[in-house]
Amino acid sequence: MTGGWRIAVRNLSRNRRRNVATGLAIAVGYASLVILGGYSNYAYEGMGALTVYLQRFGHVSIHKPGGLARAAAKPSAYSFTAEEQRAIAGLLAADPRVELAGRYLRAGGLAGNGCKSVPFVATGVEPEVEQRLLVHPRVQAWAPERARPVEGAALSGAAGEEAQAALAVGYAKKLRKHPSAAEPTSGTAPLDCAAGRADGDPWIQLAAIDFDGGFNALDARVTSLYRAVLYEEDKTSLMTDLPTLQRLLATDRVTSFAVYLRDPEDAPAVARDLAGSLERAGIAAELHRFDDPAASPYYTGTLAMTWAIVGFVGILVVIVAAISMLNAMTLTILERTRELATFRSLGFTRRQVTGLFLREATALTALGIAAGLGLGLLVSAAVGAAHVEIEPSGIAGTIPLRLVPTPAVCVGAAIAYFPCSLAATWLAVRRSVGRPVVQLLTAVTA
Amino acid sequence: MTVIAIALIASTLGAAPAGAPDAAVLLRDSDRARGALPQGVTWTVELTSEEEGTRKAKTMLVKARGVDALAETIAPPRSKGELVLFNDRALWFVKPGLRRPVSISARQRFQGDASNGDIASTNYARDYTGVVAGEDVVGGEPAWRLDLVARASDVTYDKIRYWVAKRSHLAIKAEFLTVGGDLFKTATFEYGNRLRVGGETVDFVSRMVIRDAMGTGSVTTLTFSSPKAETHAPSVFNVNNVVR
Repeated sequence: MTGGWRIAVRNLSRNRRRNVATGLAIAVGYASLVILGGYSNYAYEGMGALTVYLQRFGHVSIHKPGGLARAAAKPSAYSFTAEEQRAIAGLLAADPRVELAGRYLRAGGLAGNGCKSVPFVATGVEPEVEQRLLVHPRVQAWAPERARPVEGAALSGAAGEEAQAALAVGYAKKLRKHPSAAEPTSGTAPLDCAAGRADGDPWIQLAAIDFDGGFNALDARVTSLYRAVLYEEDKTSLMTDLPTLQRLLATDRVTSFAVYLRDPEDAPAVARDLAGSLERAGIAAELHRFDDPAASPYYTGTLAMTWAIVGFVGILVVIVAAISMLNAMTLTILERTRELATFRSLGFTRRQVTGLFLREATALTALGIAAGLGLGLLVSAAVGAAHVEIEPSGIAGTIPLRLVPTPAVCVGAAIAYFPCSLAATWLAVRRSVGRPVVQLLTAVTA
Repeated sequence: MTVIAIALIASTLGAAPAGAPDAAVLLRDSDRARGALPQGVTWTVELTSEEEGTRKAKTMLVKARGVDALAETIAPPRSKGELVLFNDRALWFVKPGLRRPVSISARQRFQGDASNGDIASTNYARDYTGVVAGEDVVGGEPAWRLDLVARASDVTYDKIRYWVAKRSHLAIKAEFLTVGGDLFKTATFEYGNRLRVGGETVDFVSRMVIRDAMGTGSVTTLTFSSPKAETHAPSVFNVNNVVR
């Protein structure tokens, strides 16, 4: 440590109470930045995992032109033929950036419980793809609780050749169906619909207008209940394996492909390259990235809101800390005016004297940040350990609150802190240091 | 909304043309020729629809009794045995092998432009509040124009403009409107069938042509044939019996 730094650190022990208060202000401010950063990181990664993997959107999704907006209403008009599916699957398999790709069929219809019918939006999924998605490291890291069925066994794990359906919790509530309902001992007994007793068995009847324009229906066993990502989805969603939904709709077509990438950062390049490949292959398609506001309005909207709040609060915190530093340094200068004059009389330049105070501020800020880092990490760990559940607006059910500050968050917050703290100190010191030595020696200060 | 609409209609009753009969009587008479016979009636209806250049056809055997009806698909073979049961205002879809019936809506599209509520007997006298709003000549036939407003939310259409021939009390034209009053379908009716009921011969609908009014150009034709008066037991229309 050089002499200047040694003096600066030693000076911190003077006016200890004030310096402790200032250091605490810095520490608490920095800790709040670490916590906010941890929350925004969790929101970013968690929402990303929910959108990409559990809403089955993929990092890039491929639809027929207009299909993203209209396929659910009229799937037959916006679907890929078996031949197109083979061509697209070939293109995706040849791209090393693609980790996994899933085919999906989405359609609306009615599900009956024997007493009443409730409209649904169904997604036909490939069980083998589902199996990989639900145990994907990103899902397990950021949203493991959403990958587990609320009740029963996930579609990917259920055995048997009968048609199976997984119902979103809110939708199952309307239908009064559970995977654990007892199988009737013989045939299908009439239900007591007047008494609302539709929960006598785990079977539902899926009905929809098929791709030929006819009305079709089939039985499906409810094998699991799951929490859909969004509140509105939870009230209307169900999933079946792809062959079941294709059988209901009398088709071998699918409405979209979801492309899951090894590195999400590759999404723009993969989307661009795929668009070119599809065009060359003569397949009319539109591609959307998961961070496209038109495709994932909830994801992009939530993140924009989170960034805005975190940014605003972060700026406020840094400003308050800087004002605290300005206040502390102003008082310090006033109290140490004669000391400052002595330094100048001994031949210290203005720059050297300013440097001394800036070193003090740097040391105080560093100590505050170190303490704040410890506090922030402690609070983050405590919140995680407390298993706090929150109900974010628009999300179905609750999610665990987790604060996951990253090194980038901590370094970024520190980088934001130091310039403000030093600028506040420089402002406080500048005027006094600029005064003539005689004035400083004769100055009357408190 | 319905109450307000009924009140508005009631307030305009004074505007009915001079000599106009009671709208309820016109609806009851026209319903008879569209299958609403308390004694029971059976007919065959073939639906053909053309949509986006594709022609589809389906044939059904319909048994009706008062407000109940059972429509069984007899062609094409892949749909054979499918049933639509009209139990008062409740509708059920039943398919061979299906464990339980599926509750469906009268408004739901059945095929082409035909809704489920179009394929069986019509009970506008029960389902709609009507007022004679004027008189027109439709295809050379003098007719009363009725404005109908649904009495309940589970009927096939919210509002209908309905033309009933003055001479025969048979419905000859209909315009189907949204709740906001926008036209979305039209229909014309022909009565080439005869049916003997209780010793008298009555006209029976032979053809209903439904046209989309939203610009798609699609046309759905329901051709009714072989109507005959038959007594159907109430148990025919019991959903539990139908499923077994």
